Amino acid sequence: MKADEKRNRVLWCSIAVVALVIALALSLKGSKGLQWVISGLTVGSIYALVAMGFSIIYASTRVINFAQGEFSMLGGMLMYTFSSQVGLPAWLSFILAVTVVTALGAGFERAVIHRMEGASVVALIIVTIGFSIFIRAVAKWIWGTDPVKIAAFLGEEPLRFLGASIVPQSFWVFGFTAVAVILVFLFFNRTLPGKGMRAAAGNPDAASLVGVSTSTSSLLAWTMAAALGAAAGIIIAPINFAAYSFGVMLGLKGFAAAILGGLGSAPGAVVGGLILGVLEIMTAGAFPSGYKDAVAFLIIILVLLVRPQGLLGKPEGEKV
Amino acid sequence: MEKLEKIDATEKGRNYRILLILSVFIFTVPFWAGLIPGSILHMDIVNLMVLAGTYACAVIGLNLLVGYAGQISLGHAAFFGIGAYTTAILCTRMAWFPTWLGVILGGLVAGIIGWLVGVPVLRLKGHYLAMATLGLGEIAFILFTQLKGLTGGTLGILNIPSLSIFGLEFDTEFKLYFLIWAVVMLMMLLSINIICSRVGRALRALHSSDDAAEAMGINTARYKTMIFVLSAVFAGIGGALFAHFLNYIDPASFTFFLSILFITMVVIGGMGNIWGGLVGVIFLIFLPEVIQGLPHWIPLVPESLTNFGNYELVVYGLLLILFMMYMPKGIAFGLSRGTSYAKTKFGHLRDRISARKYEGH
Repeated sequence: MKADEKRNRVLWCSIAVVALVIALALSLKGSKGLQWVISGLTVGSIYALVAMGFSIIYASTRVINFAQGEFSMLGGMLMYTFSSQVGLPAWLSFILAVTVVTALGAGFERAVIHRMEGASVVALIIVTIGFSIFIRAVAKWIWGTDPVKIAAFLGEEPLRFLGASIVPQSFWVFGFTAVAVILVFLFFNRTLPGKGMRAAAGNPDAASLVGVSTSTSSLLAWTMAAALGAAAGIIIAPINFAAYSFGVMLGLKGFAAAILGGLGSAPGAVVGGLILGVLEIMTAGAFPSGYKDAVAFLIIILVLLVRPQGLLGKPEGEKV
Repeated sequence: MEKLEKIDATEKGRNYRILLILSVFIFTVPFWAGLIPGSILHMDIVNLMVLAGTYACAVIGLNLLVGYAGQISLGHAAFFGIGAYTTAILCTRMAWFPTWLGVILGGLVAGIIGWLVGVPVLRLKGHYLAMATLGLGEIAFILFTQLKGLTGGTLGILNIPSLSIFGLEFDTEFKLYFLIWAVVMLMMLLSINIICSRVGRALRALHSSDDAAEAMGINTARYKTMIFVLSAVFAGIGGALFAHFLNYIDPASFTFFLSILFITMVVIGGMGNIWGGLVGVIFLIFLPEVIQGLPHWIPLVPESLTNFGNYELVVYGLLLILFMMYMPKGIAFGLSRGTSYAKTKFGHLRDRISARKYEGH
């Protein structure tokens, strides 16, 4: 109970800090500050989606998927191929792109992760890094190195709001993130397969004794994470372009957000993603923009050192 | 205790013998490599081996860290880069600055930064440590690019002087080869001494279980930091040698990809095998050259293989996955199993021959 109280305190503290930063930006910079906050929340929502992918796989299998960012990259590039190159309608391209990436994620789980049961953490990290290098290299082969532009889902005309301009795609980003977070949260807390997956991660032996298949829950986790990652990559592509190399940074930031919020916690992923997005845009405004990523990583390392389980993560009971 | 020391002593003797044989082989390479006509070989062995030597410094240290202490680092390119930039800045700003001192300082600065970073970061485990070291690597890369006054930004630093030690100039690849591989062999000697000692036993203990090692009275934090700093020093020295070898550095040489390449070398060579690092470096440095050479050597192999750069990463990615799945102990382990197999076969043969001799009498 004490840990829960502390977590709540940390949650409120972090929200207060972010609110303070936002208020400061608004009062000092006016509409420019508002612009930053909106951009920060948009980017942060995408980080949150990627972070949720990390968390889902981690929560059910204790594996960190270093290829999570590549799922998003691949989603964006496939969307480009289906909608711009083939000329299919946006909704169909979206479904096709997500399906292909999901199949890839599930296939990798069956072909590799499934066969490496009992491997060490280092071995699993290295395998997923190998997978990410492989995907990126193949994408470079197929699509080349130039970033591509994807048409926004509903018009490109920015809306004016208190002196700041908002691209309509931002609303898609916010809306999709909100729906995805709620669905994932409900799945893990209210449905039987979701609860089973959490059980499988907590204690695989006990879970299989009561009839939960750890193998199925691992497959399910990879499938969901790949689908979420692909969708995140597709909805951000009209704002940020898409290129074979974008998965690396997106993956790193998503992982950072997941750790910031607490690995394995869906609300944590959202809090971590939004905080990271806003702080990142703020530092880009305050420092030379080249330092943007360095500040993000510095914050994460500092948070890790003070609270190794992340802002909302539960401290892990160490097994000897 | 005595028994353990005895085992370590025999292990040490065995590794010393391998080191001796390997040194003799390595140091004769430049003499015969030049004799093979370029039209057959299609690669510059001495040049590749010099590059491999600089990488080997980093990989030997990283293997101690990953394979023996069980701590992952996804940011070792940072220490390699810090070593390179330290000596490059000193030797280009001050023409009189002795280059050998630059290399030593490169290792030292990398070690100090490794210590400052290692003390807090090594409290983390597994994924968290991977994330933190990865973040450090990214921060170092950004600093190399952004601190333009010091590092020259994306343009990098040009005209880095060649190495010279007390008037002895290492201005050709041929000369540099011997210096760099002598450094590598010294590092191997040091590694063997560390592994086959009390420290090595402590590392093996904390690799299998932190808590158990702690319970036996091993100061795990101290040993982890020690190995982390040592691997940073090795990488720094390697980076400094790299800078003097190429005479030119820029941030693009020290990206996340280099950190991954180092890890790949450790994994493919053999995590936790003293010789794994060396095997991995040489394998991965020569793999692209060998693949590009195939169309020249074997008829009917498509010419397109010569553009290995285009699909190099596809191969690396697949290698990482396949090695982890089917050969997690790496090539070095396979080699040592192969030799012991050969030895038993050979031993049987010898027994049979001596038996026959005996019968003949």
